Amino acid sequence: MPAVVEDGAGVAQLYRQFGPVVYRRCLALLHDREAARDATQEIFRKLLMDQKKLMERESVLPWIYRVATNHCLNERRNRSRRGEDELQPELQMATEAAPDLFPERQLAQQILARFDAETQAIAVGVFVDGMEHEEVAAALGISRRTVLRKLGRFVENAKKYLLRSTG
Amino acid sequence: MNHPSVLKLEAHLLDPARSPVATHVAACDHCAEQLASMRHQGDDLMRFVYPATVQALEPTRSRRFSWAGFFAPVAALAAAALVMIVHTAPAADHPAADYVGTKGVALKLNVYAGLELGARALSDKDQVPANAALRFRAQPGRPCNLGIVSIDEHGEVSRLYPASGNEGAKLAKVEVLPGGAILDGKVGPERIFAVCSVDPLAMPQVEAAVKIAAGASADSVRAVDTIPGLPAGTAQTTLLLEKTP
Repeated sequence: MPAVVEDGAGVAQLYRQFGPVVYRRCLALLHDREAARDATQEIFRKLLMDQKKLMERESVLPWIYRVATNHCLNERRNRSRRGEDELQPELQMATEAAPDLFPERQLAQQILARFDAETQAIAVGVFVDGMEHEEVAAALGISRRTVLRKLGRFVENAKKYLLRSTG
Repeated sequence: MNHPSVLKLEAHLLDPARSPVATHVAACDHCAEQLASMRHQGDDLMRFVYPATVQALEPTRSRRFSWAGFFAPVAALAAAALVMIVHTAPAADHPAADYVGTKGVALKLNVYAGLELGARALSDKDQVPANAALRFRAQPGRPCNLGIVSIDEHGEVSRLYPASGNEGAKLAKVEVLPGGAILDGKVGPERIFAVCSVDPLAMPQVEAAVKIAAGASADSVRAVDTIPGLPAGTAQTTLLLEKTP
């Protein structure tokens, strides 16, 4: 059954409802108001291509989180490629959500960009957003086992990287 | 003390009444502070960004469709064959005995698919991606009340226009219709019917008539080309799409 797309009024309502969610996500990852505003618009265009998902009350938020996170991490990678690392803001680690992971959070801060997109999203979910592994898995649409495996590899490689760079 | 994640706080902001972290948040200064900051950021978007950007997000102006860019050359070529005018009823050589057509009241429907490379006018039996976004342009022979519905091989009827209400929408002249439709992603035939009546058009009646006429098989959906049983003074036209992976 085709889904009917409402005209401007419907889009405006969706934008009012979910635009702030996207914008906050972009601010958290880009730390730049102008960049976050631009990214919000681009992300919302992507979201509007699948309006049915925007109507699904139970799953809409994790989906928005996933699309916005991937977009903004991609934007960070593009900045790095363009040699704009000096403009790259440090991610604010979640200091309250998982206190036992503090050393790993420090590692994550330094070497995030060296990993593939999915691993980055997982690391951000755990270390930046303070999410439990299951919550990250649900938000990113992957299994908890994948989260654990990639996170373990991330931390392990991060430690190796740091040992090499400090040794 | 573990605090709710960002995602849980977002869910709380969206719907505090159903929030599983409401109890925690109510007693937590840290979370209250974080929520206040999040609200402030949301206000920033709504105050400074939303007013300037909302129009750019409307479907007719979205990058995916580029309708303005598509229609510009069409307008320049006026009645040239670039606009695919689909099958206008009564199109069958021998309409059903109880079919009530409308002499002199033509109805033209153009269907456009928004594809990655831009909008494309569709013709009868065209193949389109099963999740394609569609828009419609209708041209009545005289002012009438328009409704557009579709039916798939399972006999499932979908109302495509108008999006709500029980009656057809007034159509006085050629018009690109507001809104549109996104196909359901399922491979198979999808037949679109546009009907326009001088008298008020009862959409439930149209939907029921389409369901009866088209049946519930791929073959019957492909074969049907008129809807019998519509009120006198109703013009109709149809277009078959083949949804592909």
